[in-house]
Amino acid sequence: MRNPVAEEKEKGFLSALWDSLSSVRLAIPLLIILAMASIFGTVIPQNGTPEEYLRIYKISTYKILRILGFLDTYHAGWFILLLGLLSLNLVVCSLRRWPSVRRVFSRAEIKPEEGQWKAVPSGRKILFRGAVKDSISRVQQGLTRVFAQPRVLEGEGIRYLFAEKGKFSRLGFYFIHFSILVILLGAVIGSFYGFRGYINIVEGESIDRVFPRSGQQDQPLGFKVRLDQFRVSFYPTGAPQEFKSKVTILEGDREVLTEPILVNHPLTYKGISFYQSSYGVSSVEKAVLEGVERASRRGFALTVQPGMKVEIPGTPYALLLNRFLPDLQGMGPAFQAILFEGTRPVENLVILQGSSDFVSQRPGRFQFRIREIDPRYYSGLQVTQDPGVWVVWLGCFLMMAGFYMAFFMSHRRVWVRLTDKKGETLVEVAGSSHRNRYEFEKELERIGQSLQGQLSQGQKKSSKGDSA
Amino acid sequence: MISTKMIGSVTFLYLFCTILYFIYLAFRSEPMGKLATWVSWVSLAIQTAAILLRWVESYQLGFGHAPLSNMYESLVFFSWCIALLYLLWEWRLKSRVIGAFAFPFAFIFNAYASLAPGVSAKIDPLIPALQSNWLHAHVMACFFSYASFALSCAVSIIYLIKLKRKEKGEKEGALTSLFPSLDSLDELAYKTIVVGFPLLTIGIVTGAAWANYAWGSYWSWDPKETWSLITWFVYAIFLHARVTRDWRGRRTAILSILGFVAVVFTYFGVNYLLSGLHSYA
Repeated sequence: MRNPVAEEKEKGFLSALWDSLSSVRLAIPLLIILAMASIFGTVIPQNGTPEEYLRIYKISTYKILRILGFLDTYHAGWFILLLGLLSLNLVVCSLRRWPSVRRVFSRAEIKPEEGQWKAVPSGRKILFRGAVKDSISRVQQGLTRVFAQPRVLEGEGIRYLFAEKGKFSRLGFYFIHFSILVILLGAVIGSFYGFRGYINIVEGESIDRVFPRSGQQDQPLGFKVRLDQFRVSFYPTGAPQEFKSKVTILEGDREVLTEPILVNHPLTYKGISFYQSSYGVSSVEKAVLEGVERASRRGFALTVQPGMKVEIPGTPYALLLNRFLPDLQGMGPAFQAILFEGTRPVENLVILQGSSDFVSQRPGRFQFRIREIDPRYYSGLQVTQDPGVWVVWLGCFLMMAGFYMAFFMSHRRVWVRLTDKKGETLVEVAGSSHRNRYEFEKELERIGQSLQGQLSQGQKKSSKGDSA
Repeated sequence: MISTKMIGSVTFLYLFCTILYFIYLAFRSEPMGKLATWVSWVSLAIQTAAILLRWVESYQLGFGHAPLSNMYESLVFFSWCIALLYLLWEWRLKSRVIGAFAFPFAFIFNAYASLAPGVSAKIDPLIPALQSNWLHAHVMACFFSYASFALSCAVSIIYLIKLKRKEKGEKEGALTSLFPSLDSLDELAYKTIVVGFPLLTIGIVTGAAWANYAWGSYWSWDPKETWSLITWFVYAIFLHARVTRDWRGRRTAILSILGFVAVVFTYFGVNYLLSGLHSYA
């Protein structure tokens, strides 16, 4: 024997689960929790190093935050789980609402109640001087012209014409909700099959491997990228104007294409995109220095290759640039250098660009400044492969279409009832709209007027005398 | 810069508009209402001319770009969007009652642009990250959505004031009786959000498309992105609560105000309190 109580209980649990999954009651708290978690994620620095965290938090706080996943909130298991629950909720909600939407679609022909016909204003009740069958084609023509092509429905001794517009606006909510799933799907595809990394290439060199952001093994690109040239330009204000990497793609040793990469102008080859993201000076080929011997006040120019000792003409001294500093404490590029007397180092120097007091006030045998440097740049490129990105854009497009349908279109239905009144026909126009009723009322008025015109056309001659 | 001086004077004009709309409410004087509308359109025209002039001036400086590139320009554009949206709305609905609550927003943002010491009115050339046509679509969608949300916030504030009066059992004063009924205020707040929400979505989507083009990632949980999503969540909650759970009145009014708080935080808070990629405005 079956146990009705247990069965009821089981059914109760399952249906309760189904109910909560399919209810907006779940969607709203989920959205609230997601919003709160996101707030935490913007307040707590994300993906920092332990040292950075210990500077702001106590060790106990740090440990709790780490266990709860708040140091990488948006990739924490529970955050993904919440997104998953939201998706499930969306799917179940949509499935559950489907029958009622389908009913609207299939029962679109249902006729208005008698009470609604009574409420039709006199402006939309037209008397046609002719038989019902003669009026049909006229109404059809008129309605097609001002609204939509109608269908003829048979009632009990009464003919109806039915036309509708914007039926699909009822599907708008489906589009929006479905689009969220599509966007999340795109993100999932990206995270499984996509790749995000970076490469630093020095001018004149090429690279065929890419280093992932997440610190895994470097991966082969399948082709080579060579940096031909990097240039940075500045506005007179000192703000950067353009970062430009001229890059050549090589298949084996064959040059396939040469293209510049700029910010807002990436290069895509074989589904892999390269974005300009950083740059720097990797080394200096050659520098021209201006020097003054303090004792004799004699000035001279010196062309130096870093790492190579250069004798200062007319003196027993020689200079070695041993380190290039791209930017010394905001004062611009600088060299660390050593002054030799014969083979004996006698002075450590810092050589700056421009005639800085920092240099001239220093005691020493010489003053130097950088007149010109010929830097060899490296360019930092972000490398991305994301096959999911088009799915994301498709989702965004669907969402916009859904918004348009759901908020700016309305399902409008017009019924025309044709009743035989002793050889004449009473034409009544009723309608309904599931949104913007006020505006639809005006549209109905226009439809009524236009039908009146259509029905009285060609009748004026015969019925002119007795029309009121 | 002449445009900067013009924008500065618009601050006082918008303050004047606010006062006129309040006088209109207090005395229910139709001529005063007409004056308020007229002054507002003139002020908007001056602000429009100033924005266009700033555009021209940027070309004269040799690095022309649309005036949508920094905090100052975005504040002025925000103020412009609010004034324009309100005036179109007034024209369409033939009702001036929201003006006294809409113009303070236009005034505050324009005043902040002109007077705040941290906001520079200098026209600067575009840094590489901003040199994109996405800039126009992204900024316009965002600020028109913010402006609709500002209006819905204004309407919700009126709603709560009127509701409080009613609950206290007070007879309706001269002020509150002029406002539309509670139901139509509720409907107005909903309608402005229905306009703002898709616009905010377009703003986020164009931002994502741009980020993907400039940085190679359409979403990186940058504070600006995250806060725009939080704002989106708040209005999504508003729409779900209203459409499917039939929330009306006080609770949705509070949600609409809360939504605008999120908007303001997305706009200002993120820049001043949090650090991220989106540091221009």
